[in-house]
Amino acid sequence: MIEVNERIDVPSSSREVWKVLSDPHAVVECVPGASLGELQEDGYYDAGLLVKFGPAKITFNARFMLELDEPALSGAVTSRGKDNQGGTRIHATMNFRVVDQEGGAGSSILIDSNVEVSGRLSSVVESGASLVVGRMTREFTERLVARLAAGSAG
Amino acid sequence: MKVYQRMARAFKAEGVTATFGMMGDGNMYWLHELHKLGGVKVHEVRHEGAGLGMADGWARTTQKVGVATATCGPGTTQLATALVTAARAASPLVAFCGEFPTNDDEYTQRLDQSIFATACEAGFVRLGSADAADDVVRKAFYLAKTQRRPILLSVPMDLQQKEWDDDEPYKPSATLFTPGVVYPDQQALERAADLIAKSKKPVIIVGRGAQWSGAGEAVLKLGERVGAIIATTLLAKTFLNECEYHAGISGLYATRGALGLLQDADCVIGIGASLNRYTTEHGYLYANARYVQIDSKPHVIMSGVRAADCYLQADAKVGAEALEKLLAGRSFKSVGYRTPDVKSRLVRHWGDTTEFPLDPDTVDPREVCLLLDEIMPPHVGMLSGSGMASGISNMMMVKRRTLMQGGHFFGCIGQMLPAAMGAVAATGQPAMLLEGDASVMMHLAEFETAVRYNMPLLVVVMNNQALGAEYYKLDVKKMDVNTAVVNTPDLGKVAVAMGGKGAIVHHMDDLAKAAKEWVANPGPMIIDVRISRTIMSVPYRRIHYGRDD
Repeated sequence: MIEVNERIDVPSSSREVWKVLSDPHAVVECVPGASLGELQEDGYYDAGLLVKFGPAKITFNARFMLELDEPALSGAVTSRGKDNQGGTRIHATMNFRVVDQEGGAGSSILIDSNVEVSGRLSSVVESGASLVVGRMTREFTERLVARLAAGSAG
Repeated sequence: MKVYQRMARAFKAEGVTATFGMMGDGNMYWLHELHKLGGVKVHEVRHEGAGLGMADGWARTTQKVGVATATCGPGTTQLATALVTAARAASPLVAFCGEFPTNDDEYTQRLDQSIFATACEAGFVRLGSADAADDVVRKAFYLAKTQRRPILLSVPMDLQQKEWDDDEPYKPSATLFTPGVVYPDQQALERAADLIAKSKKPVIIVGRGAQWSGAGEAVLKLGERVGAIIATTLLAKTFLNECEYHAGISGLYATRGALGLLQDADCVIGIGASLNRYTTEHGYLYANARYVQIDSKPHVIMSGVRAADCYLQADAKVGAEALEKLLAGRSFKSVGYRTPDVKSRLVRHWGDTTEFPLDPDTVDPREVCLLLDEIMPPHVGMLSGSGMASGISNMMMVKRRTLMQGGHFFGCIGQMLPAAMGAVAATGQPAMLLEGDASVMMHLAEFETAVRYNMPLLVVVMNNQALGAEYYKLDVKKMDVNTAVVNTPDLGKVAVAMGGKGAIVHHMDDLAKAAKEWVANPGPMIIDVRISRTIMSVPYRRIHYGRDD
């Protein structure tokens, strides 16, 4: 089990941040290697995710659901996926909340998530995967900040 | 004549020229008879398990049945780890083990050796009556050869002392069967050729099966015809690397440059290679490839309970030749993966240029590998141990040698020193073993055995004064790495105290001097190389840190 507890500070208001995070298309664009498919009847989206683990590239076919609580500016993402070799499964849950920064114009995104990897690669990636998840979180943050900056500039 | 005398003669008649083990009262009469008969070199070792490890090294090197021996009960249980290792290495072995007397159920050294053998993945043959002495030896050797695994021949002490009065000559196991060559089925051959002919980027992976069958020339010809890159398994390291389209080891021991090419392969042709999780990186290395697998077994499944798209049951050499001939008959010839661009990407792709600071008075293990590869001529064999440091030598030592062996069969440490001794005993040629400090310490007593038999073996200890694998795994989890630090004494001095030669290395100059001294006069020697813990092998960086080195 990989746990990620992140606080991402962004120079945009909580409303602006919320607008991005509540739009699955926008979120997926911020996740490196991710692509968004159709929304299914059960409320799950189809998605694809290419993860680079060391020199290996692993493609996951995933499904995820986004539950939003607008008054609280919070949400939850539940996802599960299987790689295209059929050997590795991931199961992830992520809770996020956007809060205004005290005495500032910016806001903070509080994220806590659990990622579980099982199957063939689990023993190999046990320790390294948390570093990969950390790297992906950083890349997500960079893209999100860039998107917000572009949005406010426009 | 006694039964033990007859059994000693039977072993000799099987063509045995060396045994490895420890004398105890369960095997001493048999050993005594072997000494008396002459023509069999009896190696008296310091630990039964190490003795079996030497017989395993002998078998891996000669492809003949290796012979180990242990006394009953406690002598036999010492064989455990070595038995499983030999079974995983597919080494044909016979272990002559004493067994407690059939007429004494309360004997202190009693043990159900049948259950023990089964748990250790070994076959089991027991002498149940004195009359069967010939039969059990013949059966044990037959099973060792046909099943390619260790067979524990369990011989109760009291039965060994019974009279044998049959003077018929012993019929060796070779009279039971003649090993044949497996020829491919024509339809399967056509399917394999169809699949390969569609490929633009084929990769041939050769394993020990290809080496054993002498498939080298055939593979090179096939590779040329279909335009394939050639890669090996760890165990066939450097095989066929005279080919300019050779990519080294397939899997995480591959260099960054080679990995990029392997990842783009559209067809993998495994020849005498099991295509296990390490070779294919659980299949992820060849995500877009179709597989052709040539092996002499009826069928083999690859990593992850998957089967090749086309399985061709055949001897590696015969199969590769037949495939090449069929494609030639169809006038098929493809540039495939043999383009100038690919060639340039494979030239000098071995470098690991990531810089690390060095701990004081230590050397860079990568430089150690490069220097030894350069200094040691090709007739000096090379055996690579287990643990973190072997990840460095497995990648960086690329000189083609008359003997090259890797380990990792059971993932255990400590087993390569005995195996190296067995290999040297088999060939009589000088060899070096690159091994970690914890591994060498485990069977250090056997260095004295190497001294006693004056083996031309150089043990290079890649000494980071730690349980290396654990050290880095703890580091990744931000735990206290010092719990994995275990200091050793100066192993060069220990070697000298045991009657061999020795040196300790804190600087590269020390290493060059010691290595050259050994090459000039190879004998039993330990070079204790103090390596910096700051440097991790490339596979470790990839697996544990997700780095793309």
